[in-house]
Amino acid sequence: MSEGPHLLNQNFNCVCVCVCVCVRIKELCQQFPHGITDQVIQNDMPHLEPQQRAMAINKLLSLGQLDLLRNSSGLLYRMKDIQSTSKMKGSDNQEKLVYQIIEDAGNKGIWSRDIRFKSNLPLTEINKILKSLESKKLIKAVKSVAASKKKVYMLYNLQPDRSVTGGAWYSDQDFESEFVEVLNQQCFKFLQSKAEAARDSKQSPMVQRNSSFATSHEVWKYICELGISKVDLSMDDIETILNTLIYDGKVEMTVIAAKEGTVGSVDGQMKLYRGVNPVIQPTGLVRTPCGLCPVFDDCHDGGEISPSNCIYMTEWLDF
Amino acid sequence: MTAQEVRLCGLLLREHFGEVVEKVGRHLIRSGAQNLRTLLHETGISIDLVKKSLCVLVQHGVCVFSSGRKGPGSPTEYRTSCDRILRILRYPRYIYTAKTLYGDTGELIIEELLQRGDMTMSSTVKTVADRLTQNMEEGRSMDYSEVSSAFSKLVETHFLQRCPPMAAAATKNGAASATPATPATPGTPAAPVSTTLPTPESFPDCYRVPHVTLIGKGKRRLSNEDGEDQRSAKRAKIDSETHGDEGIYWQVNFERFHLHFRDQAIISAVANKLDQTSSEIVRTMLRMSEVTTSPTATCTKPLSANEIFRSLPSSYNIARPILDQYLTLLVDDPMEFVGKAGESGGGMYVVNLHRALANLARATLESVVQERFGSRSARIFRLLLRKRHLEQKQVEDFAMIPAKEAKDMLYTLLSQNLVQLQEIPKTPDYAPSRTFYLYTVNQLPTARMLLQNCYKTVANLIERRLFESKESKRLLEKSQRIEAILASLQASGAEPEQLTEVEEMITAPEKQQLESLRLHINKLDSAENQVDETIFLLESYINSTVTS
Repeated sequence: MSEGPHLLNQNFNCVCVCVCVCVRIKELCQQFPHGITDQVIQNDMPHLEPQQRAMAINKLLSLGQLDLLRNSSGLLYRMKDIQSTSKMKGSDNQEKLVYQIIEDAGNKGIWSRDIRFKSNLPLTEINKILKSLESKKLIKAVKSVAASKKKVYMLYNLQPDRSVTGGAWYSDQDFESEFVEVLNQQCFKFLQSKAEAARDSKQSPMVQRNSSFATSHEVWKYICELGISKVDLSMDDIETILNTLIYDGKVEMTVIAAKEGTVGSVDGQMKLYRGVNPVIQPTGLVRTPCGLCPVFDDCHDGGEISPSNCIYMTEWLDF
Repeated sequence: MTAQEVRLCGLLLREHFGEVVEKVGRHLIRSGAQNLRTLLHETGISIDLVKKSLCVLVQHGVCVFSSGRKGPGSPTEYRTSCDRILRILRYPRYIYTAKTLYGDTGELIIEELLQRGDMTMSSTVKTVADRLTQNMEEGRSMDYSEVSSAFSKLVETHFLQRCPPMAAAATKNGAASATPATPATPGTPAAPVSTTLPTPESFPDCYRVPHVTLIGKGKRRLSNEDGEDQRSAKRAKIDSETHGDEGIYWQVNFERFHLHFRDQAIISAVANKLDQTSSEIVRTMLRMSEVTTSPTATCTKPLSANEIFRSLPSSYNIARPILDQYLTLLVDDPMEFVGKAGESGGGMYVVNLHRALANLARATLESVVQERFGSRSARIFRLLLRKRHLEQKQVEDFAMIPAKEAKDMLYTLLSQNLVQLQEIPKTPDYAPSRTFYLYTVNQLPTARMLLQNCYKTVANLIERRLFESKESKRLLEKSQRIEAILASLQASGAEPEQLTEVEEMITAPEKQQLESLRLHINKLDSAENQVDETIFLLESYINSTVTS
């Protein structure tokens, strides 16, 4: 389908024809809420010339009563919401364009530079438009957690996506380390008590080990029931916390195959976690002051810092 | 021969053998193989002293000599290596192990051999019997046969071995230590030209106990002979009896002790991680493979579950299925101490020695980072060990540490060289904005670095100990004099008032000072032993990676 009709100059000879055509097109749109193509309009009013059709469509577009969409087979016209139509009253084309772009970005938001690329408008214009839209409470700016100076814009009533706000661990762009610590300790206590109960049960070793395991789902339920979290935590969040416990060396993980449909299984696998003891006691080197000395590399015989006059050693010896 | 190693060896030599030997030894370590003339020239010590020092070093197996580089006619060269000197640090541990395994007799045998370097069996037995008799009650004495049997047991389990016979050396006279063997002077008929000396184990008779006729009991020395005894100990004991084992000298087999220590480390790690019964099973497996496994093997020979079941100590009567469960649990453990090698005989199991050592070394590194920098840095360290290479952002995400703090910790670890940075450029010009910077931890180089730190630490501790004794030298001398006076007074039967009067000569603050000095020195000593444990783990790990 050619785009010719949309770019034709307005032909003022057919104004009255235009009005009837506009009304007819609007009725057709209401009939087909999913949108109508040029073909449909042509079938309905076969006597209409392409120019007149284009004029009508352009008029409706400029009035903001019609939405222009493109699908695989060509252009689609759809009735616009009355509500959203009223919103845009008083805004000009540029604002509508910017608003469109922001709407398309969904809940991930879009950066002002990207708006500039997409709309080809100069920066000053963009800023003016963004300010006016914000004051009309149509869009809002959300600070991204990845780069704290970067602001992304999205529609006012949308929830920002997790990647922008950082998910459960961030509240107002601040990483909640105490929250993470508390969760860390709670999970560890849960796993440790489970392991102790298993060890005290004095059953055969295989049963002991299996009962000391907890699935990620169990841990998740336990944490939810504890109610220490204001935010809803998903199982993935709990798994990240359990991973930090693995990196602390307090917990180990195995993966077992589970039947689809058992509670907590993801893709036919379940992750099991178990509290473990450390393999060795703190090693000999760190029991001496030299092992922990901050100026270890500067220490020489007969130097300013030497074993003979080491204050750390003196303190340690008198302990 | 790093600088730290040389420093530590120097200190050890000085403590055990004196300053002259230290000078000669240090020079040999630094310069490699040298002949007598160069040694004389460069150290500037008189030829007598140099010869005597070399004798001492050779006697203890620290220095080895071989014919020169230029062929059979050239002067013999002397060579020493740091490893052997660093073993001196571990002598207390060897003696303690012998005590736990073979009682007081074993302890004294090992102690004598370590002190003298090498001795014949007969002289060892006699000396040990005398020492034991000394400590027993009146009227009882130690029989030579008991000591001989302890000696034979030590040889059977390979803790003692024969010294390799030196074809070029002048024959040593039959008596014990102090007779210096004449060093190979230039021009002696040379041994076959080979720069690598044969190891003790290459001789078939290495562990064969000679047939000695030793009948008798230990002699108790009377107290008034004490003074004479000390003097005569330095002079050569000319023993007119011969016992049929002249020329056969025995030395302590350090490698065997090291294998024992390694087994101990693995067993205690299993006990910490799992439970007592699992560690007993691993102990049984290691005991069964003591003699069949070579020291550098990656894992022990496969043992079937049936054999393990039969060899378990009888105090642990666990049922066969339970044993199977324990073995399965050991195999499934992420530390991989035990592996399954086959299904015959109820399942063939091996102990993964190298992997266990690597895990222990890794745990050591992690513990050092944890104690030195805190548990969050330890979390980052373990994270990097697991995930190998990570970007800055990924480290923050996985470790759940706020960005600023994570950056700080990473840079601290980087400055201490515990963590390395790997650059991966996107463009050939390595522009910083277009390069990936990945953090990584390499276990082996980090272990080597920590080992050098351990050497430096031990050297620091020894120096501090010497410094403390030097500071209080006057006080120590005074207290020694007073003790000697007291002892002589007591022996000659003085009255209590005289004794108290003598005791009063040390004032209370001085007593306190002496007491605190004693505490300090004990603390430093025990700290040296603790650091030595770390040294042992790291050394075994590094050696295992070299051979594999």
